[in-house]
Amino acid sequence: MDRFKAVFFEEATTLINELERVSLLLHNNPSDSSIIEQIFRIMHTLKGNSTMFGFYRIGDFTHHFETLYDYIREGKMSVTDNVLNITFASVDHLRVLLTDVELENSVHKINHENLIRGLIEVLNGTSGEESIKNNSSDHKIENKVSDSPTYWVKFVPKKGLVRKGTNVLFLLDDLSQLGATYTVSNTERLPDFKKLDPADIYIYWEIYVSGTVTENSIRDVFMFVEEDCELEIRKISETNLLDQDGFSAIARDVSLSIDEKISKFGGLVTNSSSKNRMKEVRSKIEKANEKSIVTSKDNSISSIRVASEKLDELMSLVSELVTTQARLNLVSEQIASSELVSISENIEKITRQLRDNTFSICLIPIENLLVRFQRLVRDLSTQLNKDVVFVSEGADTELDKNIIENLADPLMHIFRNSLDHGIESGEERVKKGKPAQGKILLKAFYSGNSVIIQIRDDGKGIDPEMIRQKAISKGLITADQNLDRRQIFDLIFLPGFSTAEKVSEVSGRGVGMDVVKRQITEIRGEVEVESVINEGTTINIKLPLTLSIIDGLLVKINATHFVIPLGNVDKCFEANHEEFVDKINDLIILDGEQVPFIYLRDEFDIKENCPQLHQVVVVKQDDRRVALSVDTIIGEYQAVLKPLGRLYKNVDVISGATILGNGEVALVVDPNRIIKEYIFNQINNEVLQ
Amino acid sequence: MKKTILIADDSESVREVVSFTLINAGYNVLVGVDGEDAMKFLDGKEIHLVITDLHMPKKDGIALIKEIRGKAEYQYVPILFLTTESQVAKKDEAKAAGATGWIVKPFVPEKLISTIEKVIR
Amino acid sequence: MSIENLNVSNSYLSFKLENETFAVTVERVHEILEIPTVTKVPKSPDFMTGVINLRGNVLPVIDTRIKFGLAKTDFTIDSCIIVLSIMMENEQITIGALVDSVQEVLELSSEKILPSPALGNKYKAEFIQGMIKNDEHFIMVLNIDEVFSINELHQMKENTSETII
Repeated sequence: MDRFKAVFFEEATTLINELERVSLLLHNNPSDSSIIEQIFRIMHTLKGNSTMFGFYRIGDFTHHFETLYDYIREGKMSVTDNVLNITFASVDHLRVLLTDVELENSVHKINHENLIRGLIEVLNGTSGEESIKNNSSDHKIENKVSDSPTYWVKFVPKKGLVRKGTNVLFLLDDLSQLGATYTVSNTERLPDFKKLDPADIYIYWEIYVSGTVTENSIRDVFMFVEEDCELEIRKISETNLLDQDGFSAIARDVSLSIDEKISKFGGLVTNSSSKNRMKEVRSKIEKANEKSIVTSKDNSISSIRVASEKLDELMSLVSELVTTQARLNLVSEQIASSELVSISENIEKITRQLRDNTFSICLIPIENLLVRFQRLVRDLSTQLNKDVVFVSEGADTELDKNIIENLADPLMHIFRNSLDHGIESGEERVKKGKPAQGKILLKAFYSGNSVIIQIRDDGKGIDPEMIRQKAISKGLITADQNLDRRQIFDLIFLPGFSTAEKVSEVSGRGVGMDVVKRQITEIRGEVEVESVINEGTTINIKLPLTLSIIDGLLVKINATHFVIPLGNVDKCFEANHEEFVDKINDLIILDGEQVPFIYLRDEFDIKENCPQLHQVVVVKQDDRRVALSVDTIIGEYQAVLKPLGRLYKNVDVISGATILGNGEVALVVDPNRIIKEYIFNQINNEVLQ
Repeated sequence: MKKTILIADDSESVREVVSFTLINAGYNVLVGVDGEDAMKFLDGKEIHLVITDLHMPKKDGIALIKEIRGKAEYQYVPILFLTTESQVAKKDEAKAAGATGWIVKPFVPEKLISTIEKVIR
Repeated sequence: MSIENLNVSNSYLSFKLENETFAVTVERVHEILEIPTVTKVPKSPDFMTGVINLRGNVLPVIDTRIKFGLAKTDFTIDSCIIVLSIMMENEQITIGALVDSVQEVLELSSEKILPSPALGNKYKAEFIQGMIKNDEHFIMVLNIDEVFSINELHQMKENTSETII
């Protein structure tokens, strides 16, 4: 059963997420009957499933909720703000219920009761008489049962019963399972043979049942056909009449009415037997033995659900394979057997395909995050009394599931900021000649090997001069420092910048944009702000498609191997040592073009064994190109990324490590970071000069 | 010979529990995720029982029952639908559409089997 | 290997840094490695020797000598890396501690550990959990969470790395 419970929880979570998503749609279209129907259906499924698995609290709760939407869809109520509020509160509470199904936490319990009370009030408020009936079905205690009473059952099927898939003989057979039976068939309704329709029933039956039966257990047999037949049930004796001599003669006598029969039966001696029960038990055992366990299943499957740990495991195995493959490559080259080299190349090709396939399996659309944002926008805009609409574009853009998971927090923070500080109040907006309703747009799209996510609001924007002043006052920059627009906006992400003067309930919980930046950097992303006063602010986030493996260029400086992500590599050159040292400006001429360079031996503080001839890798980031000097370029390399660990979290020019075929550790450089640091240093140098 | 039962339900957990119970009880089981999906199985092959949920996207239970009854070869196949205590009106509607009987949710496996045995054996 | 069991453990691994002997509880010791190829990470402080490949994972290696104010380790045939679990900001992490040589595993009851002298100690008091008298020598039992704590590491780091902006 636990296996099913796991399925239940997973499914319930999906249903609740869906409920939230649909409720948000309802928020925008409160009279859309298809949405209301959908909510009702979700609640209905949730209720049925939870009670099936014995989660009665969830069942009870969803029952009330279902009733609410049942009223709404029948037009007895309309979707008011109150209904929406209680709907969203219920969504949250349902999530709580999944983690605390028995409501052991008293806060959850109080909340639960309050919500149910709230639901009942909403329902009572609108349709006075029709208050909610409790779902818990009281099982009535059966009347006192005598040992082996005898019942008379008259069963007259209506025409058409067979057309509903009912087999009448099964019903009679079921009756005989209840105890000893004596059946009298009555054929008086049989028409002339020519008029007979073989699909109809003309016979009716009188059945005498005796055993541990009750009227209810007999009704139970006929439960599916009650409307399709005439059914009469009477207890004719407290004892078993069937065993009595002379019983069948009376029973078979069609000339007698049942009342007449009863009085005749009364003359028969009373005595009961328990052999019927034996018979019943025996038949049950036989039946149980007939069942054989079979596991064939012939339904075709177009998609399957897989536990995410399994995917992580697959990913790590593929990573291991990539590493091992690199080693094979190395060894096969050393052995210099052409046959081995060709096998190795073949395996490399397959490994690459397997890697790409595994990647794509781990990708999920950004859509998965959107509901949370819609919800946030709804809740916050209500709280802040602002009218804000949330729009998304490119929700089907896919990212590695681990990136998606880690993206939620920083994005939530950005949304909070936009709603709280970005978008103005309705009045203010109208005064500025903007529409009263504010807008937040989330746009996602692919750009090369990356995914770009933009969050754009049409709020009041950020004044760069204000950022500058604030940064100066906080001692982050000096007053004479000359920063361009982009550099000024980057200041927002410095620790210590956004410790807001007034802490607001919404966005100012002491979390600044530096945390947003750190969280995005941790998933190898980049973040930038662009803003125009009174037009709005755009946050640009650039993310890698995946976290675990990258295509890189393997290079070497002295004894250390480095990997430069291929996505950043523009061109490769050779240059003499002299071109880098003792230069006034850090520029090198490559292909007739002046390119700023970074002499990595200096940057990384590596002095030993300097070669005469250097190789140069030109990396690009957006519109900037920078040349990086290395000792030797070894070649392309698939790097399985390993974290350097928290001890190295301050070394940001190195984003991770990878294990080479020979077992050594190579370091993965982050060219973007190097470029940025280089620019900052240049500015500092200018300031110093 | 093993009897074949077709299940139509949009809830994965219901499908899992029902099919697991039925397979263990010795039935062949076909599974459809909604009414439309379930109809695909009704292509002339022998089906001894249909169990359907009433609320489903893409063709609900009532429509499914009507459609099955409209097919000559499945005119008499027993159809059970899944329902809860509170759905009295739906129950009548499903019966009118031609359903044989119903299974009340929540149910325990034994109850499911005993209900099924009411209509096929 | 659980940190909760620290108090009941009475086995200690002793190792040498120059002429001084130190000990750590074996509860925290995963294994002892010979020195493999160490990759120095640029822009990291001196005491962070670099990273090594420990069965497919990247293990940071710390030069314990520098932590105790000694000169940087010169690799000898006796040099080795003790792989340790330490608690850092409430999280268990694994590091490699570079030492001059490992000595032995001592079995001691906990009362054999003497409080460290409060005064005249050349090491930070927080580093030392207690002393063991072994023959005529004193062995200092280390509080490794303190020795390798993030504050300690960053404090040292700030002296070596440049600040940006």
